Amino acid sequence: MERLIRKIIIEEGARHYGQSGRILKRLPDIAVEEADDDGSLQSETQMDLDKETLRLLRFKGEFLKPCPGTKGYICCGYQILNVGTNCPIDCSYCILQAYFNKPSLRIFVNLENELEHIGKVIDSNPERIFRIGTGEFTDSLALDRVTGWSGLLASFFSNKKNVVLELKTKTDNIDGLLSSPYRERIIVSWSLNSADISSREEHGAVSIKKRLTAAKRCQEEGFNVAFHFDPLIHYRGWSEGYLETIELLDRYIDPRKVIWVSMGCLRYIPYLKSIIRKRHPGTHILDGEFINAEDGKMRYFKPVRLEMYSFMSRNLCKWHDDLGLYLCMESSDIWMSSLGWSPEDTTGLSGYLDKRALKICKISY
Amino acid sequence: MDKNQILKKAVSVDIEELDEKPGPFCMSFGFDPDNITASVRTAGLINMPLIRRTGAGSVDIVAGYRRILALKRLNWEKVPCIDLCGQGLSDKDLFMLNLYDNLCTRRFNNVEKGMIINRLLKYYTMEDIYRSYMGLLDIPSRREADLLIKIEGLDPEDKEIMAREPLSIKSIESLLELDSPSQKTALKWISNLKLNTNQQALFIDYINDISIRDGKSIREILDDEVFKGLFMNRDQNNPQKAKRLIDLLRSRRLPLLTGSEKAFAGQVFKLGLPKNVRIKHPPFFENPDYLLEISFRDGGNLIETINALAGIKGLSNLKDPWKG
Repeated sequence: MERLIRKIIIEEGARHYGQSGRILKRLPDIAVEEADDDGSLQSETQMDLDKETLRLLRFKGEFLKPCPGTKGYICCGYQILNVGTNCPIDCSYCILQAYFNKPSLRIFVNLENELEHIGKVIDSNPERIFRIGTGEFTDSLALDRVTGWSGLLASFFSNKKNVVLELKTKTDNIDGLLSSPYRERIIVSWSLNSADISSREEHGAVSIKKRLTAAKRCQEEGFNVAFHFDPLIHYRGWSEGYLETIELLDRYIDPRKVIWVSMGCLRYIPYLKSIIRKRHPGTHILDGEFINAEDGKMRYFKPVRLEMYSFMSRNLCKWHDDLGLYLCMESSDIWMSSLGWSPEDTTGLSGYLDKRALKICKISY
Repeated sequence: MDKNQILKKAVSVDIEELDEKPGPFCMSFGFDPDNITASVRTAGLINMPLIRRTGAGSVDIVAGYRRILALKRLNWEKVPCIDLCGQGLSDKDLFMLNLYDNLCTRRFNNVEKGMIINRLLKYYTMEDIYRSYMGLLDIPSRREADLLIKIEGLDPEDKEIMAREPLSIKSIESLLELDSPSQKTALKWISNLKLNTNQQALFIDYINDISIRDGKSIREILDDEVFKGLFMNRDQNNPQKAKRLIDLLRSRRLPLLTGSEKAFAGQVFKLGLPKNVRIKHPPFFENPDYLLEISFRDGGNLIETINALAGIKGLSNLKDPWKG
């Protein structure tokens, strides 16, 4: 992925950070520019989002924040570690296209300087389990060879016994992880889809087989793994497509060491639709029956979601009946109708996932 | 040049010399010429148009394009004008003069705003225009300014509709994202059925989604007998046709949802509820709870209604319509 980077921009005040120096050293042949503004998108002419530029900058906000969830739907309650924004993979359905108004792959070079503060927050809540992920606003591993995020974070969190760190990816960039000595409480997770959707809509991602090959390798190396069927997309032949992926899971992965598997049907803020139409004119991901849900997001009409979740749940449970299966941002009645139980609310789901972390990651704190 | 010292040099210009095509300073489009024609016919030419005679001998209209068109309709042969040539005024000065002259007297339609921004771009950067002219032109956002620029490139026929119909900026944006034949077809339907802004947005959204989903052009879809029949139906007025059009498109775009709505309405109808009782489903059936509404005159009437409700056979069979 990093081979596609053609330019580096360093914002004012970002050069002296150690991370900037390391990144520049890892990319010695890339043109470097200095910039004093924040590079906001000025017009729609920048619809390409400038994904060939790496922008090094200081992040001035809070690095660790709870997932905001969405009104009326149950959230997993994990903590987002905001290491950077935007993603080189460029999936047609990606919310980041509408979420940020600033282009380029943005790397927050002051992350390691803020880790001490993050550590204090964690240490001051010793009774609490922190499920922390970096895959919300970017792919956790797509730029790992450039950023070295996995090594940095694995090392830092290795002595935080009440933390599980989830690195979510659609790549097979696991070299950095494998070369680090840390394994405990690190979850490497892959977003999965059907092979059709993966090849048509996840433009810069590796194939499902490659993702699962990488997952198998991580399992063998002692990492915990997780999988996210998100977004599930309703298209002609969806059930066969997703079944094939579940069959691949069976072939590559030991289900007993899977910490959790999530599912979430495609949903989007209405504004994203025109962006998808412009940036991915050939896509059919918007063909399904979407309704304006209670949180203002467009979601598949309820019986479509129920059918997809029930199908997936049935077949995943055939593979293994203790996968830590959960739904991402769904209502309690959808949980009940498709999985046969409901955590009732975000607190309930958080508790369920904390228990999974305790059990599979063998946390003893 | 001191713009406070423009010399008012009145000249008489042969009307044949004044081109009907919009010139470099023109910012008028899609106006109704009847009003100004009537005004000139009644009160004469109150303000003389501003022109510039060029070195090549031709005449550019600086301000007063509409007045000149009215005079042509009234068959005037000579037009008294103010000639601004030889006063050291640049094209930019003349354009700004016309802009402020117009700003004093009227509002611009969307096509005209697009024309003005495009002309301003000869003299200013877009950033300058965002900063200094959006307020003057009553353009609320940069996004809207960016969109309006694109209108000028459309066919005159399409621009006429855009100037005439009260299109929302959302609709304009959606229309501009369509290919040209689809744009024309959609504009024709919007114009002929006088869709309101909410209907415009739904119409473009549904028809575009169906077109992409089914791999058919918008024209092909609307050429279907169902839509043609709707268009030709003389028993319905425009608001009725507009509503029917949106309903038809919605049922094609969202067949499961509309099917469920119908099935649910059927379930409720079969119950034979008392006239003062209504059962409603939540929006899009997203929330699991249905709504029971009873209107009543007093407690006795309420008890009577509840008892009647309790006695309705089949009430316990009421369920999510997709459950069969």
